[in-house]
Amino acid sequence: MANITINDIPVKVKNGTTILNACKSIGVKIPTLCFIAEINEIGFCRICVVEVEGEQDLVSACNTEITNGMVVKTDSELVLESRKNTLRLLANKHKFNCWQCPKDGECEFYDMLKTYDITFDEFGPSVGRNPEVILGTGISMDQSKCILCKRCVAVCQEVVTAKVLKFRDDDGLNPFVSPTVGLAFDETGCIFCGACVNVCPTGTLHETDHVKRVEAMLRDPNKLVVVQPAPEVQAVIGEEFGMKIGTPVKEVEGKLYRALKLLGFDEITDVNSAADLTVMENANRLIDRLQNDGKLPMFTSSCASWVRYTELNRPEYIENLSSVKSPHMIQGSLIKHYYAPKYLKKSPKEVFVVSVMPCTSKKYEIERPEMESDGVRDVDAVLTIRELSKMIKRKGIRVKDLEDYMPDSPLAKLTGTGSSIPVSCGEMEATLRTVSHKLDGAPLEKIEYKFTKGSPMNYGKGVIKEATVTIAGNKLNIAKVNGGTAIKEMYKRIDSGKKQYHFIEFMTCAGGCINGGGMPIVHDIPAHEVIIKRSDALYRQHEQDLPLRKSYENESVLKAYDEFLKEPGSEVSHKHCHTKYSQKEYRNE
Amino acid sequence: MTTESINVSRLFEKWILDGDTKLNEIDLVLKIKEYLESQHPEICGKCTPCRDGVVKMEALLDKYIDGTATIKTLNELESLVINLRASRCSVGLDIGKNIEVVLENNYHVLYKPVKKY
Repeated sequence: MANITINDIPVKVKNGTTILNACKSIGVKIPTLCFIAEINEIGFCRICVVEVEGEQDLVSACNTEITNGMVVKTDSELVLESRKNTLRLLANKHKFNCWQCPKDGECEFYDMLKTYDITFDEFGPSVGRNPEVILGTGISMDQSKCILCKRCVAVCQEVVTAKVLKFRDDDGLNPFVSPTVGLAFDETGCIFCGACVNVCPTGTLHETDHVKRVEAMLRDPNKLVVVQPAPEVQAVIGEEFGMKIGTPVKEVEGKLYRALKLLGFDEITDVNSAADLTVMENANRLIDRLQNDGKLPMFTSSCASWVRYTELNRPEYIENLSSVKSPHMIQGSLIKHYYAPKYLKKSPKEVFVVSVMPCTSKKYEIERPEMESDGVRDVDAVLTIRELSKMIKRKGIRVKDLEDYMPDSPLAKLTGTGSSIPVSCGEMEATLRTVSHKLDGAPLEKIEYKFTKGSPMNYGKGVIKEATVTIAGNKLNIAKVNGGTAIKEMYKRIDSGKKQYHFIEFMTCAGGCINGGGMPIVHDIPAHEVIIKRSDALYRQHEQDLPLRKSYENESVLKAYDEFLKEPGSEVSHKHCHTKYSQKEYRNE
Repeated sequence: MTTESINVSRLFEKWILDGDTKLNEIDLVLKIKEYLESQHPEICGKCTPCRDGVVKMEALLDKYIDGTATIKTLNELESLVINLRASRCSVGLDIGKNIEVVLENNYHVLYKPVKKY
């Protein structure tokens, strides 16, 4: 233990603690811009500087460890003036078109300028450091807003491990952050997970805008616009409208549907029943591979980022991927080719399907050339939750005051909307439950997972959970892999061949979709707490109320098979529910 | 040591030892600017006070050369120099210290030409 003094208050802290944490322990918050705990403790931005007695210069609180007898001042004139000057310098190289900024009120940099009441005398806000805009199907980058905090670089390198964004400091006076110079995101190794978008303190990195397309289609009287929100949307949309993190789905769901109705969507569905379809098809693929010595382990393919990661970096494992599309793509295809023509008397070309997702890589997924049937794109636009809330705010809808509404149109009924059984976390369990039912008619035993990498309290570094289940006498080794570092680790384990895995669920984002790149941005609360609170809202409360998910008993799915798809793995289902993957070239320099 | 850095060291010896410099304001400003420019290759671009501050200081010194400097220019220059104490490495810290010495010894030289109102 060490005794230190912070702003004349004596404090006892553990040896090795940083000044930042020591201050936090007594309730003094030191502002930071480039800091992310354990990921980016580099002291680049110099906002967190403090005065230490005996030191001639100011020291950064985020990466300076305390020593016994240290006397720290966090609010001396020198410190405050330095902070203001640094902010002024950063503002001088930042483009302030805040009203059209994709960050939409969540800008940490703007908040800080406000807190410190920055005034400009000799030089003020300018046109930005670098006017270049780098485009991509999932995420884009407006470099005129970059303040060079390097958070995105740290996350891309250490958490996602895609190593796309780099800090390019050949010219020390004009450094910049970018993927391979001169290339769009799609030509690099970017997997569009959106982790960089979530950590960017300004609006530099942002999801590629689909709001304009959607609004244009909502105005078009000849188009039937169908919206399909993911289960995560119900769990978190309230956060954007002043509700607490972790507000139960039941309290938000009805208001969300009402808001979507008011926005002018013609039909409201959700992706629940398509998730069951994915499960049915996956189960069919898994049984096929188990019985016919197919390629094992089988990988789930719902996470578009992870699929792209494999296509780019580990093409030898493409065959292991399940060929089943992700739920919203399946539902898009079915709405256009089955529900709309049969029940609504609309041709596929008259239907415009919009997905609302917690993810930026879904924007990339819908642009994949394989994702179409009969020349019609499966899904036409993907909104992130942030984009949807922006649309709702623009329309002047006060979500908190809305009355509940349950969609009762034929399409909503056909797709089982409002049943609110979220699936994404349990995709693997649901698949195994179906496999177990099909192979021996017995219910699946309870799966006890063991953490073999990471822990629930440290999602940021990736998690691998492993278990063994017995189905029809076969022992299956299964695993759940979340996070970029965990994906690499898992590949190493498969490469080594020490253990034969049978079925693995991969997700690029640490903590799964609930921590996706399109989620509302939360400051001040550690990432793992946010994940736990949101998961509580989405999963735990349901576990108590609802029986276990049995995809093979979902009536709307059975009806879809009966009327259109025939059976899992049939020719029609291959056309609408399955896709192909191929190796892709890229340049990461 | 390169010739350039030897020149710079000499310059600073002179400035530090010879408190009351004989340089007139334009010469002083040009020398400071020359010194700052000579430091460009050293700047790594990582921390804000040094990367953006040095360039901004040069822009402020240009105002002296143009004859448009005001008391605000001098204040801003002063605060940017002191802000270099928050730099991450010795490049920024050294630039800051050197210019601080210059300001201390020659404040009147820089103060004389500014428009006070």
